[in-house]
Amino acid sequence: MDDRTEKNILQDIAGQEYEHGFVTDVEQEFIPKGLNEDIIRLISAKKEEPEWLLEFRLGAFRRWQKMKVPAWAHLKIPEIDFQDIIYYAAPKKDSDRPKEIDPELEKTFDKLGIPLGERAALAGVAVDAVFDSVSVATTFRQALSEKGIIFCSFSEAVKEHPDLVRKYLASVVPVGDNFYAALNSAVFSDGSFCYIPKGVRCPMELSSYFRINARGTGQFERTLIVADEGSYVSYMEGCTAPMRDENQLHAAVVEIVVEKDAEVKYSTVQNWYPGDAQGRGGIFNFVTKRGICKGCGSHLSWTQVETGSAITWKYPSTILKGDNSSSEFYSVAVTNNWQQADTGTKMIHIGKNTRSRIISKGISAGHSQNSYRGLVKMLPGADNARNYSQCDSLLIGDKCGAHTFPDIQNANMTAVVEHEATTSKISEDQLFYCNQRGIGPEEAVGLIVNGYAREVLSKLPMEFAVEAQKLLQVSLEGSVG
Amino acid sequence: MTPSIEREAVMENVLQPVRENVRTVTVAQGETLERVFMLRDSSCGLPMEHLVLEAGSRADVTVVVMPGVSCDIRLAVDIAGENACCSVKGIYLCPDNEKVHIAVDMNHLVPHCSSRQLFKGIAGGSSSVDFYGKIIVAALAQKTEAYQENHSLLLSDKSCVNTRPQLEIYADDVKCSHGATIGRLNGEEQFYMRSRGITLREARVLQMISFLSPVFHDMPESAVREEIEEAVEKAVRQM
Repeated sequence: MDDRTEKNILQDIAGQEYEHGFVTDVEQEFIPKGLNEDIIRLISAKKEEPEWLLEFRLGAFRRWQKMKVPAWAHLKIPEIDFQDIIYYAAPKKDSDRPKEIDPELEKTFDKLGIPLGERAALAGVAVDAVFDSVSVATTFRQALSEKGIIFCSFSEAVKEHPDLVRKYLASVVPVGDNFYAALNSAVFSDGSFCYIPKGVRCPMELSSYFRINARGTGQFERTLIVADEGSYVSYMEGCTAPMRDENQLHAAVVEIVVEKDAEVKYSTVQNWYPGDAQGRGGIFNFVTKRGICKGCGSHLSWTQVETGSAITWKYPSTILKGDNSSSEFYSVAVTNNWQQADTGTKMIHIGKNTRSRIISKGISAGHSQNSYRGLVKMLPGADNARNYSQCDSLLIGDKCGAHTFPDIQNANMTAVVEHEATTSKISEDQLFYCNQRGIGPEEAVGLIVNGYAREVLSKLPMEFAVEAQKLLQVSLEGSVG
Repeated sequence: MTPSIEREAVMENVLQPVRENVRTVTVAQGETLERVFMLRDSSCGLPMEHLVLEAGSRADVTVVVMPGVSCDIRLAVDIAGENACCSVKGIYLCPDNEKVHIAVDMNHLVPHCSSRQLFKGIAGGSSSVDFYGKIIVAALAQKTEAYQENHSLLLSDKSCVNTRPQLEIYADDVKCSHGATIGRLNGEEQFYMRSRGITLREARVLQMISFLSPVFHDMPESAVREEIEEAVEKAVRQM
């Protein structure tokens, strides 16, 4: 392929439109800009929270004030003015129809492919839809509650199941865990709460969909998933935002508790607005996700497809505390244009015979920087623990960067850790092979990239796999290394 | 320079000999530097901290950390000329309470160069090993081939190994990889040997020697290689 076509194709990718970039015109209420104890009291009052939760927020805020912005990631983050953000924005409820969803909002989610009405054709998925700072609807609650499953927005859970929330909140990600987790603990707005009782296998996929709409706001969602003994749940998360010149902050905390013999499968397709081809705008996605395999034989699996966000700072982690527990992390991270991603995982082995597996595939194109950062830690008690990590990076174009920063710590002689990483571009041989058989260069690249990411994509639930494959094609279609 | 360096193994065509106070060593265009450093004493480390490779040059540096040595080895390599080739290898043997820290920075600044790093070691007793190895490939350094490996064996419950192999790649037409493992001696292999009349002790020695031997493989000077192999084997037998 000659240089000119290569250039054209690269321009084509840069020109790809972000299809979820529209703004919904609904009447919204905001609280004043800035962050102080009064603002936190105001958020808490708006959500009619009990006293203990307000204290929790204020405690977190005081810790946060003493903390510094983390600078260790391989990212160039412009200084964020935390006083210049609106910490709460919600669509106004229609006073005539307080129970119903605003038709505008329903239309928005419909356009995003997230039906808020319970339709027979999509009976396989229950959705909790979060619009800016509030959850607008949670579907299939009735059907789920018949099995004893609690699936609702976080605010409702605080009101209806305060004991459960109090027991598990901040039990996996402590308030002072890191800068953004502390910020989230102080100002979190809405998210999902999910509790699967003993021995129940959740009959449908649960999912949360996060949408940022209002200008000048940040989204601080909080999700808590508890899987009691012997239960199973598959949970999916998706997100989009409008196209804007400004950067918006999204700092979420996700906590997962997996009890004895329970299994949780957590999948994310992250598609926040990544900014334009010149690197203007886009979401800053600074997320703390952590799960604990508390009981024997518990299992937690993370699958993520990261295609959006101007900057991603995200390390879904697992603490393997129970004996014989296991965890997996599958990730595809795609960066294009001026996007930056520093993402990976932490596997902390405490229990005996614990197992973990990490498969990370990074694809960088344009002027982007894509890093894998991971920690595998075998504590002295982790007898016969086992980890295998594989991190591959694919470079498309000569202006981007792909980096791998693993940290492997072993303090147990019976534990075995393996790590391997490779970096390369799409090989000329593979392209030639495809061309020779009549497959055009663009199609060939699509084929190769898809094959490269297959190991991860195949782990996604059906509902997501299709979307993820489409996303990969949109962001990388026709690119040539 | 110091008594701890037993041998400056092969010396040929070195532009600037390793002298005291000389922390930067430059290998001139087309020249070759080959060095084996045996560290037998905790009082000192590597006599050079910075290695610069000019066009077409070749450097082959091997470090052997003998039992009883706690050390902090830092080496930064700048590959500054095209078609240069660098190999940094090491062995660490830590049966007691040694603290070994190894940090290697491999900077690929220009195209068409290759580098290889191979570090293997055994940690027992209450020793701790920290390995940090970074490969940086600058945006200009196309057609780079850079590989890094770090493998460790843990022999006791109190020993620990931390390893941080890092890749920072800014060029696309490159082949780079790193691999790291931390593990134990394979029980099945031991069973195989014991069922053939080899004692457990001898079986373990054989396993450890074969584990370390790839480091010696392409060492060019056979006399030096034999001597080092002998010293390593002796040390392994006492572990």
